[in-house]
Amino acid sequence: MPAKTLQWLFGALMAAFLIVPLLVMMPLAFTSSLLLVYPIPSFSFRWFVELFTLPVWQRAIVNSLIIGFGTTALATVLGVLAALGLRRRLPMIGGLIRTLFMLPMVVPAVVLGIGMQILLARIGLANTHLAVIIAHTVVAVPFVIVSVSGSLAGIDRRVELAAASLGAAPQRVFSKVTLPLAMPGILTGAVLAFATSLDEVVLTLFVAGPNQRTLARQMFSTIRDNISPAIAAAAFLFIFGTLLLAAVVLIVRRKKEVATI
Amino acid sequence: MQVRPIGQPYPATEKGNGVAEFRIRFDGVSKYYGQQCVVDKLRLDIEKGEFVSLLGPSGSGKTTLLMMLAGFETATEGQILVDGYRVNDVPSHKRDMGVVFQNYALFPHMSVGANVAFPLQMRGISKAEIAGRVKTALDMVQLGALSERKPSQLSGGQQQRVALARALVFEPRVVLMDEPLGALDKNLREQMQLDIRALHQRLGLTIVFVTHDQGEALTMSDRIAVFNKGKIEQIGTPRQVYDEPATRFVAEFIGETNLIAGTVEVVEATSVTIRMNGGNIVRVAGTDGLAAGQAVSVSLRPERLSLTQVSGTDASLPGNTISATVTDCVYQGDHLRVQLTGAGDASYIVRLDRRSAEPQRGAQVTAFFSPEDCKVIAS
Amino acid sequence: MSGKSFLQKSGPLLLVAPLFLFICLFFIWPLGSVLTQSVSDNAVARLLPETAKVASSWDGQSAPAEGLQAAFVTDLRAATDEQAVGDMVRRLNSAQSGFRTLMSKTLKAVQDKPEGPIDLVALDRKWSQPQYWKAITDALSPTTDRYLLAAVDLMRNDAGEIISQPPKQTINVAIFGRTFWISATVTIFCVLLGYPYALLITVATGWKKQALLAAVLLPLWTSLLVRTAAWFILLQEQGLINSALMDLNIIADPLALIFNRTGVIIAMTHVSLPMMVLPIYSVLLTIPKNLMPAAASLGAHPLRAFVRVLLPLSFGGIAAGSLLVFMSAIGYYITPALIGGAGDQMISSFIAFHAQNSGNWGMASALGIVLLVVTIILYAVYERLATQRERSA
Ligand SMILES: Nc1ncnc2c1ncn2[C@@H]1O[C@H](COP(=O)(O)OP(=O)(O)OP(=O)(O)O)[C@@H](O)[C@H]1O
Ligand SMILES: [Mg+2]
Repeated sequence: MPAKTLQWLFGALMAAFLIVPLLVMMPLAFTSSLLLVYPIPSFSFRWFVELFTLPVWQRAIVNSLIIGFGTTALATVLGVLAALGLRRRLPMIGGLIRTLFMLPMVVPAVVLGIGMQILLARIGLANTHLAVIIAHTVVAVPFVIVSVSGSLAGIDRRVELAAASLGAAPQRVFSKVTLPLAMPGILTGAVLAFATSLDEVVLTLFVAGPNQRTLARQMFSTIRDNISPAIAAAAFLFIFGTLLLAAVVLIVRRKKEVATI
Repeated sequence: MQVRPIGQPYPATEKGNGVAEFRIRFDGVSKYYGQQCVVDKLRLDIEKGEFVSLLGPSGSGKTTLLMMLAGFETATEGQILVDGYRVNDVPSHKRDMGVVFQNYALFPHMSVGANVAFPLQMRGISKAEIAGRVKTALDMVQLGALSERKPSQLSGGQQQRVALARALVFEPRVVLMDEPLGALDKNLREQMQLDIRALHQRLGLTIVFVTHDQGEALTMSDRIAVFNKGKIEQIGTPRQVYDEPATRFVAEFIGETNLIAGTVEVVEATSVTIRMNGGNIVRVAGTDGLAAGQAVSVSLRPERLSLTQVSGTDASLPGNTISATVTDCVYQGDHLRVQLTGAGDASYIVRLDRRSAEPQRGAQVTAFFSPEDCKVIAS
Repeated sequence: MSGKSFLQKSGPLLLVAPLFLFICLFFIWPLGSVLTQSVSDNAVARLLPETAKVASSWDGQSAPAEGLQAAFVTDLRAATDEQAVGDMVRRLNSAQSGFRTLMSKTLKAVQDKPEGPIDLVALDRKWSQPQYWKAITDALSPTTDRYLLAAVDLMRNDAGEIISQPPKQTINVAIFGRTFWISATVTIFCVLLGYPYALLITVATGWKKQALLAAVLLPLWTSLLVRTAAWFILLQEQGLINSALMDLNIIADPLALIFNRTGVIIAMTHVSLPMMVLPIYSVLLTIPKNLMPAAASLGAHPLRAFVRVLLPLSFGGIAAGSLLVFMSAIGYYITPALIGGAGDQMISSFIAFHAQNSGNWGMASALGIVLLVVTIILYAVYERLATQRERSA
């Protein structure tokens, strides 16, 4: 076989290795079988019905939405403020603070989970939705900072100076120029924060009580204890939900571009 | 000139108030970045309706001066007065100055119309009036049809004109431009030079224009301030800075020149005689407080020199003469550029009319010029 | 003279402050708690304040004095928090076996007789042996290094010297070893698969390039849980891989792919691969395209040109990717927990087990600290490499 063919064969196999696992899940969400296996005997919505009617799943979905939106709000506000602050050169400490903010991405989740459980119990927040939101925010905030810092770095400083020279006071420079230009990064950060919260399992294991079980947490124990096609249906919701959110962001961004006369 | 007391509000709308005869005055303004002095105790007055160019090599502090005037940088010492008011502590959004940046700094998320409307909205002007003024401003720069477009959908020249319209639409006291034409190609740049000049005359604008293109400065300005290392070397009309450079730096920076070192021999009533290195004696008009024995340079513009094929000193030639040998001659389209070597290995550049006969390389010639066509620079 | 107000100058700090406080409170403090938890030992001291007061009067060799025994009984009478008592018993039993039965007997006696002295030795002969009392007095100090030592299979002997634990009880070093081994294997697979793949993306053009890039980015945007669940489906006994192989008559019986090392490594490699490909790809992008042809024109065999030119230039990318993959791999919990068998659980699983199933927070925290320290060191190296590369670029 010529080297060229071999090369592309390798590429195709690798791409398949990367992508196929993402795809096998989808059809199984619509199986009528009790087992999570191929071939699919017939097409059915029964697992989605189970997801939306069985109290455990129902509750998990609601919890995931509450915690997801809570995390998105908290992480976005804190992250955007910090990214704005880090934009100016803070001599010496700027780099240190940024590293500190990135650290939650690196620290093993289990270690952070133990600490969180000890601390949240000590301050009386154990087994509350707020506790889970706080835990998720800690790990979601780096994503917000990275994406907002990126879009802020792309803003030409002179555009803001121009706005000031044209008579805009600092607050109006911010609201009319800086914020709109940073908006794509802020929206991306918010979506990433939501996706992070949706997918978080380990911290949730430690800080959530039975009333805060999230969809991811529920999927985790279902896979471990009594695997059923319900997890395929849940995974379908996961992917679908993230895609939907990404689409909404894209549309909003497009709209904004048109709307600003 | 009277200075309004510090703390008295700087009026946002009042233009010219009879107190100050100058629109802008830099009064001993310095700017330091750490230990580095970028602008050095600078004094400069700019009159109402004047077009002043700041011309100088890269890093000479032109942008810094403009940024201090616009309020983006603070002066380390000295005061900046606008219409007699001290503006050092007035934030930029209250200074009422239109700034055009080199890269235009248009708002990428707003349409052309919204960009131009922005300064008017900031001033709380009614919607109806804004619409009218935006249209007038865009028509003025021939962009009336493109007001719905985004800046990214415009060519460089069009973006430049939007930036101009945006800086003019609110009738600022002063318009500041930092190399606004730097990014345009040569033809467009020359067209825009004429357009801006025309707008300046029509609207009676006060313009401070930064450039490092001397041709641009000479074409457009009422006065040119030549910058070097944070100082103004000379300020004057284009004719003054070209014909009567005050310093060696100005003579070399603006246009091409022959600088010949020498010593003052005799000071007379209206002229001086100078012995140039190499032995030639020349007479130069004007005395300028020179004293016999002083070391000087003579600046001699290449186009003010004439050539004759006759060698040796010819009494029939007017003014000063220099004997030399032709070492090179290049045809440059609009002129002939001749290089000469004279006594003491001094070399001269001469610019001849393109219709002149081309001198042969190695030919013995005499270069001559009148005492009024050269300038003595103390060195 | 400055035209800036106080607010403008301190503005950046004010903006950073909320997140800074939040991170200190809910990130630094929890990690600090883990650290203190790993050295704290107050399960016993908390309940036995009276005993602690008189403990120093006992020489630790002879049978304990009356006073110590009386103080102990007083403390037990005062202890009403059942969970705390349970913690204490567990702690004592871990230092000296036999304490569980001894204590339940003693506690019952104390409950039955709420007043007056109790003859402990009469109750159980064990109370006459010094080692039980020694266990109690040793446990009275509020800090201890026993968890941290145990986390790396060390302990103190009676003389207080640090020695290795008896071979039967050593497990943690083996688990750390397993964790590093699995992570290293995954890292190596990622390099071997990821480098050529990144190279392929670099040379590809048009739709092929887009497709190859999309194949790396898509998994990165997909939930980790979903990816792990997907491997569960693929690898299980009746899973797609086994049924495909059996349908093709390549194998007769299903391969064991799940709940073992093979499955863990396959799934973890899949999850980590994008983290390897992207840094390598970004470095390869910066290498001028004409270097390889240039080397060839100078007479280098392609393989030699690769080893002498391309590989050294892209080393930064490989190092960054490997550190990233290894660093995240040693902290993995979900994938081994769902795909691995009992012998493939990594350190995170044991930390979670100690914390959640056996309530041994000291041990969990100590193991966590070791893992944390390793991770932070790797991260520091990674940052160093990154800033070096930035500076040289
Ligand atoms: N923010 C700053 N910090 C430190 N030094 C600066 C800063 N801004 C400018 N400088 C320095 O001040 C000097 C003058 O810069 P300035 O931008 O005013 O020059 P310029 O005359 O506009 O040059 P050019 O023609 O290249 O635009 C330069 O040496 C520059 O390095
Ligand atoms: Mg400049």
